[in-house]
Amino acid sequence: MAALLRSARRLKFSPSGLLHITGTKRNGPPLGRLYSGALGGTRPGVCGRQIGPASGHASSSRVWPYAAGCVRNYAVATEQKDEASVVVRSKQAQQFDWALAKLDSSVRRTGRITKTLLLRIFHDICRTGYPSGNQALLLLRSCGSLLPEVPLEERTELAHRVWEKLQELGAQYDVSHYNALLKVYLQNEFKFSPTDFLAKMEAANVQPNRVTYQRLIAAYCQNGDIEGASTILGFMKSKDLPITEAVFNSLVTGHARAGDIESANNILSVMRGAGIEPGADTYISLLNAYAEKGDLDSLKKTMEAAESADSSLMDRDIMQVIFTLAIAGHQQHIPDMVERLRHERGYVPDAMNLCLRLITQSQEDTAFHILKTFPTLQSESFNSDAANLGNFFLRHCVNMDTSLEKIGSFCKELQESNMHTAALSFALSCALEAKKTGMSLELMKMMKEQDSPIRPHYFWPLLTQHVKDSNTAGVVEVVKGMQELELCPDVETLTNYILPVFPSMEAARQALKDTGISLDSEGFVASEVRSVAVSNLAKLYTILSDPSCPSMDLSVFRGSLILGFRKSSDVESMVKITELLYKDERFSKGNSKASEATSFFMYNLIDSMSEGEVQTQEDKLRKYFNQLQAQNVTISVNIYRGIKNLLESYNLPELIKDVVALVDPNDRVSSSSASAFTRFAGIEGKVLALENKLSELKAESKPLGIVLKQAIQTLCAEENLQRALELKQEHEEEMTAGGYAILINLCCRHDNVEEALNLKREMSRKDSSVVLDPSKYLTLVKSLSKNSKVEEAVDILKEMKEKDVVLNDTHVTMLFHMLNAVVPKGGAPTIRRLQDTIFTLGLAKPTGNLCSPLITAYLDSKDLPGALDAALECQKLYGHLPRIHDIIVGLVEKGDTDLLQKAMDFVSQERGEMTMLYDLFFAFLQTARYREARKIIETPGLRSRPGRLHWYAEKCISSNQMEALEQMVEMTAKLFECDRDEMYSYVLRLCKETNNWEKAEAVWMKMQEENVIPRERTLHMLADVLKNNGQEVPFEVPESWYQQAATTQQVKTATSLSPAVSGTEFQTRLMALCKKGKAKEAYKMVKDTDKKGVALSPAPYDVLIRALLAEGAIEDAMAVKDIAASRVPGFQLSDIASSLLIITHSKKGQYKEALEKLQSMLQVNHVPSQLAITRLVQVLGSNGDVAGIQEVESRLTGLGTSLSLSSMVFVNNTALAHIKNGDVEAAVEVLEAVFTSPNSTNPSMSFVFRKVLEDNNDKALDKLNAMAERLANHFACYRPASDLFLQLLDMDKVEDAKFMLARCNAVAEQKDVLVSYLAQKSQSPGQLGKIKALLSLIPDFTEKEVLYPYLMKCHVMDKDLSSAKALHEQIQKEGVVIDELSLKRLAVLYHTEGETAPFTEPPESFKFYADKLKERAAKVQTTAEA
Amino acid sequence: MAAPTKKVFEVFVSKVPWTVAGKEMREYFTQFGPVKKCLLPFDKDSGFHRGFCWVGFSTEEGLNNALQKDPHVLEGAKLQVQRNRRPFAGQRSNRDGEQD
Repeated sequence: MAALLRSARRLKFSPSGLLHITGTKRNGPPLGRLYSGALGGTRPGVCGRQIGPASGHASSSRVWPYAAGCVRNYAVATEQKDEASVVVRSKQAQQFDWALAKLDSSVRRTGRITKTLLLRIFHDICRTGYPSGNQALLLLRSCGSLLPEVPLEERTELAHRVWEKLQELGAQYDVSHYNALLKVYLQNEFKFSPTDFLAKMEAANVQPNRVTYQRLIAAYCQNGDIEGASTILGFMKSKDLPITEAVFNSLVTGHARAGDIESANNILSVMRGAGIEPGADTYISLLNAYAEKGDLDSLKKTMEAAESADSSLMDRDIMQVIFTLAIAGHQQHIPDMVERLRHERGYVPDAMNLCLRLITQSQEDTAFHILKTFPTLQSESFNSDAANLGNFFLRHCVNMDTSLEKIGSFCKELQESNMHTAALSFALSCALEAKKTGMSLELMKMMKEQDSPIRPHYFWPLLTQHVKDSNTAGVVEVVKGMQELELCPDVETLTNYILPVFPSMEAARQALKDTGISLDSEGFVASEVRSVAVSNLAKLYTILSDPSCPSMDLSVFRGSLILGFRKSSDVESMVKITELLYKDERFSKGNSKASEATSFFMYNLIDSMSEGEVQTQEDKLRKYFNQLQAQNVTISVNIYRGIKNLLESYNLPELIKDVVALVDPNDRVSSSSASAFTRFAGIEGKVLALENKLSELKAESKPLGIVLKQAIQTLCAEENLQRALELKQEHEEEMTAGGYAILINLCCRHDNVEEALNLKREMSRKDSSVVLDPSKYLTLVKSLSKNSKVEEAVDILKEMKEKDVVLNDTHVTMLFHMLNAVVPKGGAPTIRRLQDTIFTLGLAKPTGNLCSPLITAYLDSKDLPGALDAALECQKLYGHLPRIHDIIVGLVEKGDTDLLQKAMDFVSQERGEMTMLYDLFFAFLQTARYREARKIIETPGLRSRPGRLHWYAEKCISSNQMEALEQMVEMTAKLFECDRDEMYSYVLRLCKETNNWEKAEAVWMKMQEENVIPRERTLHMLADVLKNNGQEVPFEVPESWYQQAATTQQVKTATSLSPAVSGTEFQTRLMALCKKGKAKEAYKMVKDTDKKGVALSPAPYDVLIRALLAEGAIEDAMAVKDIAASRVPGFQLSDIASSLLIITHSKKGQYKEALEKLQSMLQVNHVPSQLAITRLVQVLGSNGDVAGIQEVESRLTGLGTSLSLSSMVFVNNTALAHIKNGDVEAAVEVLEAVFTSPNSTNPSMSFVFRKVLEDNNDKALDKLNAMAERLANHFACYRPASDLFLQLLDMDKVEDAKFMLARCNAVAEQKDVLVSYLAQKSQSPGQLGKIKALLSLIPDFTEKEVLYPYLMKCHVMDKDLSSAKALHEQIQKEGVVIDELSLKRLAVLYHTEGETAPFTEPPESFKFYADKLKERAAKVQTTAEA
Repeated sequence: MAAPTKKVFEVFVSKVPWTVAGKEMREYFTQFGPVKKCLLPFDKDSGFHRGFCWVGFSTEEGLNNALQKDPHVLEGAKLQVQRNRRPFAGQRSNRDGEQD
C-alpha cells in the first residue's frame, strides 16, 4: 500500500509524463504501473480525454462559490465576446440563481469577470429592489481579484458603491458580508484602519468571528505592521480562537514587509513548533517575500524546500511570484521563473489573467513576455482560421492607453512571429470600438506604412458616435484625419456618417470647404444626388441631365430615388428621369444595360410600395406608365411578370393592362392559376374494425368461467390456498387461464413450488398459447430458483422469451429484487446461470443493477477474487462494473495489492483514469485511510465529477458516516470545478439528520473561511439546525413563502388574543394573509396599525399592494402605497407591483393610466413584466390606439433588455387597432410586411383572426382572408392561412374551414402548426370535438404515435373513461406503441372512476414519464441532426 | 409559386472580417460570376458591420462556382459561404446605405 502511495505522490510532482515513467521505474514497486496511464506516455495529461467544452457543464453544476473565493483553477477558456448574450436575458428566473449563473459562467470560462458584466448585474439587482443578503455577498466578492482588468482603486470604489447602495435598498449585512469586504480590501491592497473597521462592525451590532480576525491580521501584515497584527493575535488567543495556518502565512508576509526577512523565514519553524505543518500557501507567502526583495537564490531554495516538503507549487503560484517580481521592478529574474512554468491544464486562462493584471499595472513588457509563452496550438485548436493569438492582450493595451510605440512593436512582433496574422488591424478595431480617435488615426498611419489599405468605413465607428452626439467639430476632426491619410470620403460615408450632423447641405458644404476638403469628389456629388432625389425630382432631373454630371451607377442612388418617386406627385419629372436613366449609359456602370437596369428599377419601385400605397397612387402610376409608353420605354417579359404578380398581390389588377402595354405584344404570356384539389379520406374502415372486435368478445364469454375465476380470486385474496386448490379440482374443465395464473402466484407466495409447477404444466397442457403476465412469471422464477430448481427456472425464462413477454421498467426492477432474493440460498452459480439466461435471451438489457446480485453473492461468501473476476467479466460482456466500490473497499481492507493493481489497471483501461482515481478515492475514504485519499484527490488534472461525489455523499448521509463525509468535503476544497456549496450542504444535511448544531456552526465558519457563497437552500438548512436547538441564527434567513404561511397559521391561533404582536410577527402574519388571498383582511390590519403609528419595512407593503392588485382593488392598493410612502421615505413600487398595476388598469380598460404607469416605470429604469406589456398592448389595440402601441414598442427597444416578448404582440395589436379604426388596409399592410420580410420567422397571427371572428367583422375578415391566401399562393408563406383555418375550426365554423382548406390545400401540410393546435386543445377539457373536426378535414396530418397520446389526454381531461377504454383498445389493436405517460393517465382515470385498470399502472410519477418522453424526443432530434 | 424575377441566386456569407466593406465583398465574389447585389449590413450604432453578408449572383452558374470553392479566403480571413436558406432575403433592400 505504501508503495502505491509513494508512486502516486511522485507522479504528482513530476513535471512531465516522461520523467514520471523513469520515476516509477526507479521505485519499482508492483503497483508502479498503476498510474502509468494517468500521466505517462503520449497522452497530454490525466484527463486529456475528459477536456470538454467547459460551458457544457455550466448549467448543470455551479462551481462559482469555489472559483470566487480562490482563483486557482480554471477551465480552458475560449476567447469569446458573448457578454451581451449573457447579459441580455430577462430576469424572470430567480434573481440570485440568474446572477450567479451569469457570473459563474464568466468565471468558469475565463477566470475573471468584466466590469460591464458586474455592473449590469449590480444595476439589475438594484432595479428589482430589496436585494437579499446573498446577492449582496455575491456582488461584494466579485469586486476583488476577479476583476484583473480594473485598476485596484477602482475596484475598491466599486465595492464601496455596492456596499452603500445595497444597504440603502435594505440589504441586511451580517458577519459574512464584513468578512467578504475585508477579503476584497486585501485583494485590492486597500489601506484602511482595522480598528475603525471593527468599530464600524460594533456600531452595526455585528460580532466579528475568527475569519474576521484572521483577515484583519492579514491587513496589518500587508502593511508590515507586526505590532498591529500581534494585538489582534493576542486578542484571538484570549478568546481561545484557534490560530490556523492562514494566520501564520500572514505573519510571513508581515515580517517580510516590515523588512525582517529572517523572522519571516523563522515563522516556518514556529509553525512546526505549534504543530502546524507549513502548507503550500505558507511557501507562497515566503516566495513572494523573496520576490519583493529580488532575491533569486532564496527563491530557488524555497521552491526546492516546498517541493521536498510535499507542497506542490502550481503554475498559478509561480505566476503570482512573477507578478510580484514585475511590480517590485526585478524583471531580470522573470525569465528564470517563466522557465519553471509547467503549462498545466488551465495554464492559458491563468496566464491570460496574469497578462491582464500586468497590463493594468502598466507592466506591458512583462505581460508580453508571458504572452509569448502561450502555446500557439491553442488558437488553432479552437478554430481553423488564421492565427490570432493575443487579441485579449491588444484589446486591454488599447483600453489602458498603452503607448502607441509599444502597441506598434507588440503588433509587429506578433505578426512577424506568425502568432497573429492581423495584429495591427485588430488593435485598430479595438481602438475604434473604444472610440479613441487619436489612437485610431495613429494606428491607421502605421497600417498605411505597412501598405495595408485604409478604407473609408474604418472611420464609421468614430463618426457614428459624433453624429449621435451632434458633435460637428468631432466629425470635422475625423474628416481631417481621413484627409491626412489621403482618403476621400465616399458616398456612404458622406450620406450616412458626415452630412447628417450638419443642419443643411449648404452648412455641410461650407464646413467641409473650410477644412479644405474637395467638394468635387464623386462621393459628394452622389450624396447630393441622393438627398435631392428624396426631396425634389425636378431639381434632380436638372442635375442628372447636365452633361457635366459625372457618370454614376443607378445603384448609388436607387433607394433614394424610389423613396422620391413614392413621395412625389410630379409625374412629369418621374417620366423624364426614367427616360434619362433608360437611355443614358452614364447611369449603368456595371454589367447590365441601362434599359435593363431601369426596368428592374421599376419593378423595385412597385415592390417597395405597400398595398395601400399602390392603391391610393393608382392614378399617378397609371399616368406614369402611360407616359413611359409614349416615350417608347419598354420592359422585358420577366419584369412584366414580376410587376404583374406584385399588382395581383396588391389587389390592383386594373393596372396590369397599363404595364403590359410596355411589353412587346409577341412576348406576352398568360399564366394560369394553380388548380386546387381537395383531399378527403374515409374513416369508415375504423367502424368495421370495432364491430369485428365486439363479436369476438361475445363468442368467448363463458358465464361459469367468470364466476369460477372470481371465486378463486377471492380465496386467494384471503390467502386460502387449500380451498382454492380444491375449487380448482372440482371444476377443472371450466378453469380459465386467469384462474390458473392467480393460483400459481399464490403457490409461489406460499413457497409451494411443486404445486406451482404442476399448475403451470396443467395450464400449458390445456392451452399452450396462454401467456402469464410478466410479474407472475418472475414470481415463479424466483420460487423455483430459491428451491434449487434452477433448470426449471431457466425453462420458464425461455418460455417468456418464446411467448414474447415484454418486460417494462417495473419488471426489470422486479427482476433485480428476484435475483437478490435468490442470493442467500442459490449462491453465485445459480445467479450466474439465471443472469446469463436473461441476458442471452434478451429478456432485459444488462444494467449495472441487474449485474450486481452476482457480485453480492461472491462478496457475501467473502470471495474477493471471485467478485473481482465476475465484475471484470461483466464489464467485458455487458459494459458494466457492478459494485466495484465494494470490491475495492474489500481489497483495500484486506491489503491485497496484487488484486488491487489488477482492478485498477482494468478500471483505468475500461473506464479511464479519472474513474479509477475516484474509485480509489472513495475506497480510501470508506476505509478511513484519509492520508491516502488526499493524495489521490490531489492528483493534478483531476476534476470534479459531481455525480460521483453526490453518490458518495448520499452513501455517507444514509449510513451516518460524518467523518468520511467531512474528510471528503475538506479534501475536495481545491478540486477543479468542485461545487463547494453543494459539498457543504451534504455535511449540513447530515448535521440536520443527527441534529448536531455544533458541527453545523463549524461548517458555517469553514464556509466563510473558504469564501463560499451559500445558496438559499443551504442557509435554510443551517438555520433550521440552529433554530431546532435553540441557537441564535447569525445571518438573515431568506424568505420562503410556504414555510412562513405554515408557521404563521400556528402563530395566529396562538396569539390572536394577545394584543401585543411584535413587528416581525405582524409582518409574517400580514404576508401569510396576502399569500392566502385574504388581501382585504390584510389591508384592514395595515390600516389599523398605521393609525397606531407602526411602520413596517418596505417588503410587506409591497406584498400587500400586489395582493390587492391581484384582486383588482386599485384604490385600496394606492391607499397602501400612500401609507407606505409616508412611512418609508423614497418608497417605490417593486417591478412586480408596478407590472400588476399596469395589468389591472389594462383589464379595466383604463389604458391611459396603464400607459402612464409604464412610462413612469421606464423612466426610473424599472423593467415591466412580459404579461404587463402584453395586456397593455392588447387594450391599446382594442381601443384603436396605434400611436400608443408604437410608443410602447419604441420605449421598450430603448430599454436594452429583451423581455423575450414576441414581436407579434405589437404587430397583431397594431393590426387590430387599425381594424378598430376601420382601416383594414393598414392592418393588412402591417401584417404583410412581417410575413414577407426576409427575416420572417413565420410567427402566429391567430390572435388577430380570433378577435376579428369574435367581433363578427366580416369586412376585415374578408381582407385578411385574401391576404392569407395571397401570402400562401405568392410567397409560399402558409402561416397566416393555417392560423385562419385553425381559428375557424376553433370557432366551430367547420364549413368555412373546409372551404379555406379547399382554396389553400397546403395548410394540410403544416404539420407543426397543426400538431401544436392539437397539443394546445388537449390542455383543457371539452375540446375533443374540435380535434375531431380537424381530423375529419385532415385525417392524416400526423402519425398515430403523436395523435393518440393527445386524444388520450383529451379523454382523461373530459373524464370520459369509456372513450378512453375504446381508444386504448384501438391503440392495442392497431399495434401502436402507447407511451407510459398516456398509460399512466389512463390508469389514474380508471382509479378516479372507481375501476381497476386491467394493466399495471406505471409506477413512477407523471413528471418522470414526461421527462422520459422529452429526453427521447431530444435524442431523436440529436440523432437526426448528427 | 414566386415570381420569376424573385429567383435570386444568393449565398449567405459569414465571418466577414471587419476590414472589408461591401465594395471588397462585391469585388471578391465577382470572380465567380456577375454579382447582382451585395448586402453587408452595418450597425449604425457601432459603425461596424455585423460580420455577415448576402451576395446575389445574376446566374445560377455564379452561385455554383462560389459554392464549389473552398476555402474562401479574403484578406487572410476564412469566409464561411453557404447557400442562402432564408427565402426572400434582401427582397426589400432598397436603402442605398446597405447596398452598393
